[in-house]
Amino acid sequence: MKKVEVLAPAGNLPSLKAAVASGADAVYFGFRNATNARNFEGLNFSEVEARQGIEHAHRHGARANIVLNTFPQVDDPTPWYRTVDLAAELRADALILANMALLRYARDRYPDLPLHLSVQASASNSAAIDFFQRHFGIERVILPRVLTIEEIRRLKETTSVELEVFAFGGLCVMAEGRCHLSSYVTGVSPNIEGVCSPARAVRFDQEGGLLKTRLGGVLIAQYGEGEDAAYPTICKGRFVAADRVYHVMEEPGSLNILEMLPEVIGAGVVSLKIEGRQRTKSYVATVTRVMREAVDAYYRLGAEGFRARPGWLKVLNATSEGTTHTLGTYQEAWQ
Amino acid sequence: MRIAVGPVLFDWGKRAIEEYYRRLAFESEADILYLGEVVCSKRLGLGPEELGRLARELAGSGKEVVFSTLGLVMNDGELERVRRVVALAGELGLKVEANDMAAIGLGEGQPMVAGPHINTYNPETLAFLATVGVVRVVLPVELSARAIAGVIGKRGDLPMERELFAYGHMPLTFSARCYTARAFELPKSNCQYKCGEFPEGLPTMTQDGSDFLLMNGIQTMSARVCNLVAETEEIQGLGVDIVRLSPRKERFREVVGLWRQRLDGRLDAVTAAAKLAELDPGTRFCNGYFHGRPGLEQVP
Repeated sequence: MKKVEVLAPAGNLPSLKAAVASGADAVYFGFRNATNARNFEGLNFSEVEARQGIEHAHRHGARANIVLNTFPQVDDPTPWYRTVDLAAELRADALILANMALLRYARDRYPDLPLHLSVQASASNSAAIDFFQRHFGIERVILPRVLTIEEIRRLKETTSVELEVFAFGGLCVMAEGRCHLSSYVTGVSPNIEGVCSPARAVRFDQEGGLLKTRLGGVLIAQYGEGEDAAYPTICKGRFVAADRVYHVMEEPGSLNILEMLPEVIGAGVVSLKIEGRQRTKSYVATVTRVMREAVDAYYRLGAEGFRARPGWLKVLNATSEGTTHTLGTYQEAWQ
Repeated sequence: MRIAVGPVLFDWGKRAIEEYYRRLAFESEADILYLGEVVCSKRLGLGPEELGRLARELAGSGKEVVFSTLGLVMNDGELERVRRVVALAGELGLKVEANDMAAIGLGEGQPMVAGPHINTYNPETLAFLATVGVVRVVLPVELSARAIAGVIGKRGDLPMERELFAYGHMPLTFSARCYTARAFELPKSNCQYKCGEFPEGLPTMTQDGSDFLLMNGIQTMSARVCNLVAETEEIQGLGVDIVRLSPRKERFREVVGLWRQRLDGRLDAVTAAAKLAELDPGTRFCNGYFHGRPGLEQVP
């Protein structure tokens, strides 16, 4: 039986090396521009670093995927097309794409380059996945975080495309690639600029004994003394609805599937993706190591014998915002 | 420019929605009517059967009828629903609006509208979609005028009609989670159809009391009403063929009428804007996206 892959994020070359050293089967990274959805300052790869990163991964038996998951902009689409060319030239193991025009270009120009459909393409059902397979020959789809485990299992029965799922990290609670909340408030959009809730739009204000967090001038949450303040993304904000003040969409916290690992693997996914290209090298190393241990334990003990060790959960919780975790949409009750 | 009335995004119930469209068909100046459930497969609004019946009934009005489909397709039941609506549109010779790539896949070869939930951020994407049957695009709501110009190019570049969301609460995103049910501490699987209690979504305010968002089941919308009535000349200049007005519960045919007058040059921009505001006291309007600003802003 082919083992499920542990796929780790790399925001820079040291993180990539840490991921490989910690047991990642594969890593993914993007270039230092708007061509990927983690376009943060000081993050991502130059061409030279990409070349070194891919060589490093290959030398250690790991695969390296390149991320190109935003939509080419009209003013200057060159960087997007250049990234496709680079992925082929550098012999990346896969190129992760969201846009149909780029998929067309990549498939026509580089028939042998494996293409993975980005989560930003929001393909959450067999008809959508079939469409991308039929036209662009995608090998794999990264599923948006909108499906239950049962729905993923069903989906696997209806498609020959490989399924990759998010296993750990920051939790988008919206259908990825189709969320305008950031641009509604800040003017900056994941689809256009590759950025959600940019740091320059964030303010932390002390007012009347409360810490108020704002995004684009909009009050996202307020905290009393001793409460931990979360980064103000709208979907994790505390607002007023139905006469209550609460996290209207979702509490700050991380997605963590470890407790459901047997079900997730049993559903037929091929790859467990760790979110967090914007996180530190030590985050990447820690999470990758735990995920590696857990996956190995699963294959050693079997679905029946596997238990998520409290030690793993403790270590993972310590890396995550709000220090809580959720099974998110994989569990129907969450919806 | 023609006026399209978008799909009703709220849960008003079957009868109310049917009556709403009947009156729009026979008593309004709209040119195109989009019918069908976009937000939630659990709602008992216009299903495939009602769509067929209503489309036949409205045919005599001379308006173009288009079937809209679900925005987020997550399981077999939802996929089947989209399949039936796409097939029905084919049988009746109507266009079908795709709001999830599932519908593009199922409708390939049929005349389709790429709805506002399909990511069309560049002309190359539109050129590709034209090869699979897309004959009209409704642009993503977050595009600026400048971006729109780039995406749709010059008139004649693309064999495709261009439609712009120009009035109404903007659909901003979808989730697997139902936020209306969550507000009442209910799971989606037992939502008790709470959306039915909020004809324009569940108001969601910031803690300092400003209207911010609307929770509309699994959809999140802007609390402010997008209104580009003062920008119609610029919109026309961009090569937009159709403006989309998104259904609201009250006095909507008057909204359509005011837009018609404005598009025909019978009302100036200032008067049209003032009259729309009068129809809807207390509502805050926004036009930020069009001007390259945050969507919630109102640029004077």
